[in-house]
Amino acid sequence: MVDALLPRAWVMRALYLALCIALLFLHLLPLAHTPPKWAGPDLVMALTFAWAVRRPDYVPVLLVGLVALGLDLMLQRPPGLWAALMVIGTQTLRNRASALRDLTFAAEWASVASSMIVMTVANRVILAILMVDQAPLGLSLMQLMSTLIAYPAIAFLSHALFGVRKRAPGDLDPAGMRP
Amino acid sequence: MARDRGQGEDYSGPLKRLLLGVLLLCLLGIFLVWRIDSPRVERFRAQVVDRVVPSFDWAMAPVTGAVNILRDFQSYQRMYQQNQDLRRELQQMKAWKEAALQLEQENARLLDLNNVQLDPRLTFVTGVVMADSGSPFRQSVLINVGARDGIKDGWAAMDGLGLVGRISGVGRNTARVILLTDTSSRIPVTIQPSGQRALIIGDNSIAPVVDFVEAPDQVRPGDRVLTSGDGGVFPAGLLVGQLAEDPGGRIRVRISADYERLEFLRVLRSYENERLTDPGRLISPSSLPGSENPETAPNAAEAAEAENG
Repeated sequence: MVDALLPRAWVMRALYLALCIALLFLHLLPLAHTPPKWAGPDLVMALTFAWAVRRPDYVPVLLVGLVALGLDLMLQRPPGLWAALMVIGTQTLRNRASALRDLTFAAEWASVASSMIVMTVANRVILAILMVDQAPLGLSLMQLMSTLIAYPAIAFLSHALFGVRKRAPGDLDPAGMRP
Repeated sequence: MARDRGQGEDYSGPLKRLLLGVLLLCLLGIFLVWRIDSPRVERFRAQVVDRVVPSFDWAMAPVTGAVNILRDFQSYQRMYQQNQDLRRELQQMKAWKEAALQLEQENARLLDLNNVQLDPRLTFVTGVVMADSGSPFRQSVLINVGARDGIKDGWAAMDGLGLVGRISGVGRNTARVILLTDTSSRIPVTIQPSGQRALIIGDNSIAPVVDFVEAPDQVRPGDRVLTSGDGGVFPAGLLVGQLAEDPGGRIRVRISADYERLEFLRVLRSYENERLTDPGRLISPSSLPGSENPETAPNAAEAAEAENG
């Protein structure tokens, strides 16, 4: 493993950044120019939350904030607002991570869902207060729903492919210290 | 569990909380600055996009090509039927071509009779679509010509047939075209043959709404929609599409440009016309021919040549 050279946390942070850039790349491919009838899931949000619940040290808030700000700029969203909400959402889930460690997946899903719903509502309310043009309500709700549906798949993939697992009791990190 | 949470707080420490606070303040600050001084931040955004997207370009072209080949491959399954359809359409097209040729000759004769001068300054720059907006909520594409090629905000972008959108956001090598279907798109149009003025308003659907028609009873589905040039937004007379009525009874425009495959876009160079501010004055060039000193005339000729070349 590369653990000998680099701490695993840094490798996983780099992996997170790479995954986000890959998702941005897929979003930007000029494949369809007609307005879509449905909105796909916000995979970056699902990925971030899935990792934040499992291993908070892999997704530091600074990284999440910068990635979300970059996406805001690239995807023509009001810059900064969604990034700030992502940071708040991630931080909330990080704080809950230790409590969620012992609970079932359903509890985790409910917790993530509540964060996502609050973030979407807050986003729309703030944009409405500041009188910014926003997307049709139906599309945002659809995006929220599809993100929630996609969440278990993302969580499973991060678990199986990238080895992002909850810490088991008695886990040691490579330095031999108790986390 | 409460003890656990307490430990987490200890672990994160006040420094991390400070970092979190500063990060949030920065992000919300950027958002507020954007709300207050949008053009400046949008220019910054255009620069970021200008820097980032061309670096994806080497990978984007092959991936897009591969996906399109796969899609085309699916259409091979219905090849026979398509072939029949195409033959039938070709037959119809031949009839239309004949009609068009006759009209073209007639038009040329009439133009000649009237001695019409078409605006020689209406030239175009062609660009390739590099990326789309990447979000289901915004309808825009990024093309590979920018400030380097003299593109300016507000110019019209067309495909071969009809209007596609309007330049908004120019980087050095890239420019963003807001499509007619975007929710922020508003284009003044005239509806022929009745000559009614209207506005077409994008609403994130494939057929934008036509609104503010002066006399709605004079327009009917099938009428042609052209840009009107009102407000100096676009040159007048660019084809937009045809009127259609949706099941809810609203008038919409069926766009002529082929949004299914936007590959090459031509950006029309348009120059501002004289503004008529008050009705009684004489309209004159900004410098009168008599007052011009002789050196400027060759300069002007050179400038015109440089523009054409």
